[in-house]
Amino acid sequence: MTKGFLWFTVLALALVGCTGGGGGSTTTSSPAAQPADAGFKVALLTPGPVSDAGWSAMAYRGLQAIEKELGAEVNNQQATDAQIRDAMRSYAQKGYRLVIGHGFEYNGPGVEVAKDFPNTVFVSSSGAGSSANAGAIRFGLEEGFYLAGMAAALTSKTGRLAMIGGPDVPSIRSTFKAFKAGAEAAKPGIQVSDSFTGKNDDIAAARQATLAALGQGADVVIHQANAAAQGVFDAAKEKGALAFGANLDQNDNPSGVVLASAVIVAEPAFVALARSVKDGSYKGGVQLMAMKDGAIDFVWNPALASRVPPGVAARIDQAKADIKAGKLAVPMDQF
Amino acid sequence: MIEALVGLLRFAAPVAFAATGETVGQRAGVINIGLEGMMLGAAYFAMLGSLTTGSPAVGLLCGVGVALTLGAVQAYFTLRLAVDQIVVGTALNLFALGLTSTLYRARFGGSGQLISVPRLPQFGPGLDAALVALPVLVVAAAWGLFRTKWGLALRGVGEYPAAVEAAGYGVARLRFQATVVGSALAGLGGGYLALGVTGSFAENMTAGRGFVAIAMVTFGRWRPAWVLAACLLVGWVDSLQYELQARGLGIPAQILIALPYVLALVVLVAVGKGTAAPAALAVPYRRER
Repeated sequence: MTKGFLWFTVLALALVGCTGGGGGSTTTSSPAAQPADAGFKVALLTPGPVSDAGWSAMAYRGLQAIEKELGAEVNNQQATDAQIRDAMRSYAQKGYRLVIGHGFEYNGPGVEVAKDFPNTVFVSSSGAGSSANAGAIRFGLEEGFYLAGMAAALTSKTGRLAMIGGPDVPSIRSTFKAFKAGAEAAKPGIQVSDSFTGKNDDIAAARQATLAALGQGADVVIHQANAAAQGVFDAAKEKGALAFGANLDQNDNPSGVVLASAVIVAEPAFVALARSVKDGSYKGGVQLMAMKDGAIDFVWNPALASRVPPGVAARIDQAKADIKAGKLAVPMDQF
Repeated sequence: MIEALVGLLRFAAPVAFAATGETVGQRAGVINIGLEGMMLGAAYFAMLGSLTTGSPAVGLLCGVGVALTLGAVQAYFTLRLAVDQIVVGTALNLFALGLTSTLYRARFGGSGQLISVPRLPQFGPGLDAALVALPVLVVAAAWGLFRTKWGLALRGVGEYPAAVEAAGYGVARLRFQATVVGSALAGLGGGYLALGVTGSFAENMTAGRGFVAIAMVTFGRWRPAWVLAACLLVGWVDSLQYELQARGLGIPAQILIALPYVLALVVLVAVGKGTAAPAALAVPYRRER
């Protein structure tokens, strides 16, 4: 028993010596220790499953566009909390030239890990930190949510709106603030409630939260529930309310209650980023991708045009033009 | 008012089904950590069944079938091979999460879809067949456990299996029967989540309900009626906290989301004295040779 354990320990130490030693030298030595450019490789880290039909799904589509348009070799994994740094380091060690972390929580680790891997660029979706080979793309979804807030306020008959979120995180809070600001700008004194389920995958909880909010008198609802969004839409349908889609264009949802969607068009931004990394022109920094860059849009559902009071669409179009022209500033939190 | 009560019952039902089955299992000394995985597997296949056949009833049966299959795997390892129940259950959870996610992505695309499938037909104030069956199943479980010879033997297996074997019963056989009941009800719970509550599916949509169900069994002191009451209470507080959030009282959402579980803990501290837990819970049975 003891002898077996001893042998096991020796073997384990030997294995650690082989693999760990090799890995260690890669992390600490000169840039040349990174594998030479054997094809352009791009990795994506997401906070949730890429099949969430929302935030992470949108980044996955961006990654697929990079693969298709630049012929890059791509890989993705779900990484949260302590896994983030490990995942970043292992991608960099494998010679990935670009590692995209899809969320503000990837910014700090990206800037930190970037010091050890000068040949790899680490970019997070939102966040404030940057260096020569690390930075962020800040998608200004707030602008879409602001317009949705205006449209919701002008469509609501009860004067009450609801926002249903998954986890209570700064990025979601910021879009909700913009929705509320848009609603108040269009109709001062309107009531806007927010509820969070704490989860991105719990359809039943999203449904229950929506029913509760609609029970308080709200008749238009927007969500940040990603994979659980169907629960929001179905609850709205059940109570005869209207809803707004978020992140992706959800106007064709079978519930038939989605009036319009606040959309992030991530593909062109991701492809442009990857291209700048590939040709070596990437400089770091935080880049705002908003409505004027074509990265954010607000898309009406033509099938429900009759549910929108006359004049509202024109007013939203005007606000959209003002945002693009820089005449209307939408509040955005820095995080 | 009645509709609100039915709505509450519907929201609590997935956990209540699973917890009822788990009560029977734990009384026989079987702790089913794999409950979450069984529910998730059932939810996916129930959704798929309803989507492909257009019949939610068939979908629900698919869900129960999948949970029974997973239960059979679990029974093989825990009863035949006497492997630790916690280990097997954990493996089952990981397997079910991986399997359903892989199948979901293969069928609905890598970036996923919001799915809408036919739900169980409702009548009256929003009732459906499964919801009506819930109290019946709880009564049946209570009657079976406390008013039948089988139930006496089953409870014996959970307390002191050697004595039950000496009385001429097969320990593995009784535990297998308890596993079958537990898996079928877990399947009903998961299937109901997909087809009774939401009419949809998302990866990991059970979101911890299996573990909550296990906690509810302890909360309800291993008695089916009390377990149902515990599920309804926690479900009620859970939907109440969404009402409070929507009212905008300025209480942080995290505190409100935790409310049902804080309540469960407080009640457990208050009533949890004594040894109501089956003595042979999670202890593999090996006949002495």
